[in-house]
Amino acid sequence: MRIKEITMECKDYREQFTLLLTNTLDQTERSEIESHLAGCSDCRNEFEAARKIWSLMGEIPQPEPSQAMRANFDTILSDFKEELAAKKNNQVSIWTIKLREFWSRQAQPRLAFSLLLVAAGLICGYFLHQPEQSAISYNRQIDRLSSQVSEIKQVMMLSLLQDPSASQRIRAVAYTDEISNVDLKVINALFTTLNEDPNVNVRLATLEALVKLSGEPKVREGLVRSIELQESPLMQSAIADAMVKLQEKSSVQPLRNLLNKKGLNQMVKINIEKSISKLI
Amino acid sequence: MLKVKNGDIDKMGLIYERYHRQLYRFIFNMTRQKELSEDMVQNVFLRMLKYPEGFMGFGEFKMWMYHIARNAIYDHFRKVRRTPAYSDVKDFEERIEGEHRTDAHLEKEQELKTLETAMGKLSDENRELIILCRFQEMKYHEIAKLLNTTEGAIKVRVHRALNQLKSNFLRIEN
Repeated sequence: MRIKEITMECKDYREQFTLLLTNTLDQTERSEIESHLAGCSDCRNEFEAARKIWSLMGEIPQPEPSQAMRANFDTILSDFKEELAAKKNNQVSIWTIKLREFWSRQAQPRLAFSLLLVAAGLICGYFLHQPEQSAISYNRQIDRLSSQVSEIKQVMMLSLLQDPSASQRIRAVAYTDEISNVDLKVINALFTTLNEDPNVNVRLATLEALVKLSGEPKVREGLVRSIELQESPLMQSAIADAMVKLQEKSSVQPLRNLLNKKGLNQMVKINIEKSISKLI
Repeated sequence: MLKVKNGDIDKMGLIYERYHRQLYRFIFNMTRQKELSEDMVQNVFLRMLKYPEGFMGFGEFKMWMYHIARNAIYDHFRKVRRTPAYSDVKDFEERIEGEHRTDAHLEKEQELKTLETAMGKLSDENRELIILCRFQEMKYHEIAKLLNTTEGAIKVRVHRALNQLKSNFLRIEN
């Protein structure tokens, strides 16, 4: 038991040998361990061995760095300073170069173009935004559209007049109401229909349409000329009625000519005579 | 160092003057190669010049310097992929050649050689601890800070390293 106790004690002390060598123990700790070493030869030997190595290590020759190193470092230092200065200058010059590049030949047209686009956009926006301007252009657009529509109707009417179906042709004639500016083309087409269409109903509808257009002197002239060309009794009395309605005095002579025509319907004859008397 | 960080590069000359010897010895004791050590010292200082912001967080210049140096040394060890044994013993032999010898001197030389061999047989970590503690004369708390551990742990580890060195030494001697 005694031996073990000593070993435990020695072990604890030996743990502190390194601390003793590195001089990290305080005064009491050191004197305690020294007094133990004085009485324990085992520990003393052990410590001696450690101390010997410790001091021997202090004798390992430590080479000096070469003299050239210092000079080399000065070179490194001045190189580094230059580099640093160059970098700083670079940062300034990089910015100036960047700025200059911004205006360089390559960028110039691009820049000009983009500025032009922006300007154009602003101008367009400015004009488009003006309320009066927009109203005018809006009205202009409406006008254009409606004139286009009436043109389309005119074309449609003209082509419909050629249609083999009588009801389609009547529809075409009805379209004249919707055509705002009836021009010569339409009037001529209507007269052709009035004088030559095989269907009585179509001719009657055409007569009606033309009477509505009687403001035009040409229409009146045409109607008068048309009186003698009509063969159908229905058309003859209808046109005579129309002449009375229009108070067209120049139609008296053609109507008289019509009375002299052979094979004229009796009823029509009476009707025309009435009309002539009204006109005179 | 703060001045260096703020652009006063010339101050680095003073710092170099003060620390380069210490740093050189540390690296030399770790690597045992003169030229390599010199190169490494310059690299460590150049690194400190280039990245002065790394100084922050170390508080003490010395700690930062050792930190960079350790990284460089262990990088080197990894690169050469061998234990950095005391391969450069030739340097010493050449130097010994020219010296006047007595028997006592010879005996001492023998002991030193044995010690160097014993050190070479230590692991990198143990050898580093002994170098930092004995050659660089760093305090336990400084080593602890550098190796990012506690002072108590370092005390134990240094003690074990020294015991290891002692047994290596005795084994070679006999």
